[in-house]
Amino acid sequence: MEREVIQSVGFRNIKNGDEVTGFQFKVRLPYYRGVFLSQLRPGTLFVDGERIEKDDITWVIRGEEFTNEQMRENYQINWDITTPATLKVKKQGGLAQGWHTLKYGFSFSSSYMPPMMQSDDALDPDKEFFIFMPEFGHHVNERTMLIV
Amino acid sequence: MYKYDRKGPKRGVSLYSYSAEYGFTKSLEECFEDMYDMGAHGLEILANSHIENYPYPTDEWVDKWFRLCDKYEIVPVEYGNWIDSHVLRDRDLTTEEAYKLLERDIRLAHRLGFTVMRTKMPVINEKLEPVLNWREIIKMALPLAEQLGIKMCPEIHIPTNLNGEMVKSYVDFIKETGTKNFGLNIDFGVFRTEFAPGEWKDPAFTPNKPEDLIPLIPYIYCCHAKFFNVDDNFRETTMDYAAIINTLADNGWDGYLLSEYEGADKYDPGYEVGQTLRKHHILMKNIIGD
Repeated sequence: MEREVIQSVGFRNIKNGDEVTGFQFKVRLPYYRGVFLSQLRPGTLFVDGERIEKDDITWVIRGEEFTNEQMRENYQINWDITTPATLKVKKQGGLAQGWHTLKYGFSFSSSYMPPMMQSDDALDPDKEFFIFMPEFGHHVNERTMLIV
Repeated sequence: MYKYDRKGPKRGVSLYSYSAEYGFTKSLEECFEDMYDMGAHGLEILANSHIENYPYPTDEWVDKWFRLCDKYEIVPVEYGNWIDSHVLRDRDLTTEEAYKLLERDIRLAHRLGFTVMRTKMPVINEKLEPVLNWREIIKMALPLAEQLGIKMCPEIHIPTNLNGEMVKSYVDFIKETGTKNFGLNIDFGVFRTEFAPGEWKDPAFTPNKPEDLIPLIPYIYCCHAKFFNVDDNFRETTMDYAAIINTLADNGWDGYLLSEYEGADKYDPGYEVGQTLRKHHILMKNIIGD
């Protein structure tokens, strides 16, 4: 596992037969403990500045694929800190060969943190928390990587 | 299973300390070996962090767990769990739902050989007061905890004071119920008296004196041996460590002091928390004798 939240391993186009239907990349959980899926706040993805809504992205955790909506109610499955999740993005034709900059935001709630740090605004995955705590990582991460 | 028979305060490590390295440059086994190097027998894990496939580890993983504990002379002491009442976005869990999570953790703690749980309460305000139904949740869990020999302990952490209302409410609950399966984990941060010039200090924090521990000793099942700065002469410069440990020892306390390093510098590139823990264990070994 790489220290960067957006992992370089796992970044590729997704093929269905001969057809390229999208692409995928992996993120690790930048926290010191695992979280249940309902704690996650998936955000918006920007690929080379192009906006992709959170509902167009599915998460694969422990081999199971979840939509944003499915994760919202699921507090039985835990995403652990040592296994990156795979994010699948629908995009006809996938990404072109060459460099791409991915900017992606996600955050997570925590039952023992005071309410002011748990508001929708504080947990907004698309902007940074008002104070940076290394233990909780950044909400928004960016990485430039190659598609072959 | 490995047993460590010494009475009184004993040394241990909370794997939380390895947070910045775990999964990158340290595996579970490497953390255990680091502890073995230090002669630290007591272990605290964070359930959601260190149990593979939590909360449903495989039998193979559990077998490996006990093999590693034996190999490195590790005693599973404290199982860090959270009562995650606020796990859903739109509503709090009911008492029954919160209990179900706690029940699952009690069973898993017992399966892995733990006897104490650091039961983190969900909070409702900026003073970090626990949810209003914490008594009901804990009461539901007491019979199972008793049956499996588990003691659930909220951590008493700054800015909470040992003489304050929150500790009193926990002690009152213990007295009312007469339970031996709910108690306290004292975080030594409450004894901190020295701060570096310009360092942030919580305005709500007043340090405790080591003797404030004495009335609580029957309810303390474990301590987070918090430390901030151990100098090159192996002295903690921010609090009187010998006075704290000797107060526990002189008053007949028996249990584990689990090193917990919370400094944010452990996330700095190249930082190795193992060396920081070793300094702390030289300090504690010099006071305790083993």
